[in-house]
Amino acid sequence: MIPVALGISIITFITMYAAGDPISIIRLGKGNITPDTLEALRVYYGLDKPVPVQYINWIANVLQFNFGRSLRGGQPVNLIIGNWFWETVKLQLVSIVIALGISIPVGIMSARKQYSKQDVIVTSFSLFGVSMPTFWLGIILIIVFSFNLGWLPSGGSAGDPKLWWNNPVLDSIAHLIMPVTVLVYVQLAQNIRLIRANMLEILRSDYILAARASGISERKIVYKYALRNAIGPVITFLGISLGTIIAGAPMTEYVFSWPGLGRRFVQATTDLDFPVVMAITMIITVMALVANLIVDISYVYLDPRISIEKGK
Amino acid sequence: MATTETKETMKYKRRSASQWAVAWRRFRRNRAGLAGLVIVVFVFFVGAFGGFFAPYPARPDPNAYAPFYRSESKSPPSWKYMFGTSTGGTDVLSDVIHGTKYTLYVGILVTLITIAVAVVVGSIAGFYGGWVDNILMRTTEVFLVFPSLLFILVFVRVFTLTIGDPFWTIPLIGLRIPSGLTIVTLVLGAFNWASNARMVRGEFFRVRELEFVEAEKALGASNMRIIFKHILPNILSSLIVVTSLTIAYAILVEAAVSFLGFGDVNTVTWGQILQENWSETRNVWWAEVFPGLAILITVFGFNLLGDGLSDALNPRLRD
Repeated sequence: MIPVALGISIITFITMYAAGDPISIIRLGKGNITPDTLEALRVYYGLDKPVPVQYINWIANVLQFNFGRSLRGGQPVNLIIGNWFWETVKLQLVSIVIALGISIPVGIMSARKQYSKQDVIVTSFSLFGVSMPTFWLGIILIIVFSFNLGWLPSGGSAGDPKLWWNNPVLDSIAHLIMPVTVLVYVQLAQNIRLIRANMLEILRSDYILAARASGISERKIVYKYALRNAIGPVITFLGISLGTIIAGAPMTEYVFSWPGLGRRFVQATTDLDFPVVMAITMIITVMALVANLIVDISYVYLDPRISIEKGK
Repeated sequence: MATTETKETMKYKRRSASQWAVAWRRFRRNRAGLAGLVIVVFVFFVGAFGGFFAPYPARPDPNAYAPFYRSESKSPPSWKYMFGTSTGGTDVLSDVIHGTKYTLYVGILVTLITIAVAVVVGSIAGFYGGWVDNILMRTTEVFLVFPSLLFILVFVRVFTLTIGDPFWTIPLIGLRIPSGLTIVTLVLGAFNWASNARMVRGEFFRVRELEFVEAEKALGASNMRIIFKHILPNILSSLIVVTSLTIAYAILVEAAVSFLGFGDVNTVTWGQILQENWSETRNVWWAEVFPGLAILITVFGFNLLGDGLSDALNPRLRD
């Protein structure tokens, strides 16, 4: 886990460095900076030192939760990022929970009634889901519900004045509805396909046949014996894709002007604001890796065949 | 003598045709897969011959801005402008038609890179196993765990700083390719191979243990011969399925990258059209809806085709 995080940080650092000297990039189009000022800026940001030294300095600072200063405006990155981080976490958690809550029962239903009308609807819907550009669904929702019907806000995470009877909670819900719908829709398609495929395989296995033969109720078979095995791959997939889900969020956050890490990342990359880009990259990487770890641990509870002492 | 020979050749002929013929027969019965094939053929047709029937020429030809000169920018869909006109005063239908070839360019090139890297890495890891496998798979994991969209954005941004010419000319054939879009494509390919490399490796592990490979080894065949003549043909069907699904995926990601404003401004891809009209969505909804529909239908087509091929070529994997 730690080597992976280090590897990613090195790759990002080198890429950003390959773009050239950040100070001269910022200078483009601003002709009236004297060479002395440029030199002073380089020293201020520590860019006069060799790359490996810069990297080690950067890592040392990151370990103390100091991500340096933004090249645009010079504010400490930590100060800027804190709020954005929580906004992203809020958006992601809500959508992951809702997506799991919907996809598990639907996937099971779809698998139990394979090739029935409901199953065909569900499978074609999920194929349609994976074919739809995330951001485009967002655009359509905005056109319909914000511009035409005027029911929901088109962007942001909080309104001023507050929407829906001036209640801060309702206001925040009003802002969450559309971005969460988009994120849930994206995950639903993948989750349902996965759960359905697993359930189909497991429902055909011998131990389920044995359970049926001993007269256990269908309900208990599906939800107690089959589901427990079918859910494993979904959790693994969730762990692997958590990085992608967070990274998919830049699209959603950009469309809905959500003040989160993703939109900030797009902005910082456009501006070539390296410290902010590096900071967000690291935070997202660490979040993805921690999610992976949690998934690995939760596996022990889900699957008694795996135990921590024996290794894998 | 003669009779045995004809018998032999007949047997040979029937055998060589059978695998693909059987797959085709199975595919023909799959209505969803056929629908996908029709969509894909249609998209290729528009990509190849779109220039002949698009109402207006491609940008930067000044005639592309004809609606602007008639002060008919931002006009809603009508018989004159089927998809309406954009904020910049171009005909959205023409933009979409001209964008098709770029979409296919990205989709196919990304897929070629993906498959090439995935096969090389997957074969080496899967065939040799041991520490080679270990190193390659750890590297693959980095690519898998890390949210690739972030990397893609950073790389595209950094690399597009370096280009001067909007078009590159390939030396020997003299083909002109859009430089910015090619950079986007190369970066997409570089970040997309990981999961496919894992798939190839898995297949290698499966096929490597089969008896015929062991027999070939016992006969003293070289590693190269085993890999190219015996193992790769066995995973060809999986690769064909991956091709279709990867094209679909690449089209989606390119659209996303362009929409975020990291695309090539000199090539009007579908994502680029969405980006150009995004700030004016309230006034020109048609310029967002129709290019998006084009993406959706194309990607849906490739996905349907991929699923259909998967059912036809790997019947064991059928749900």
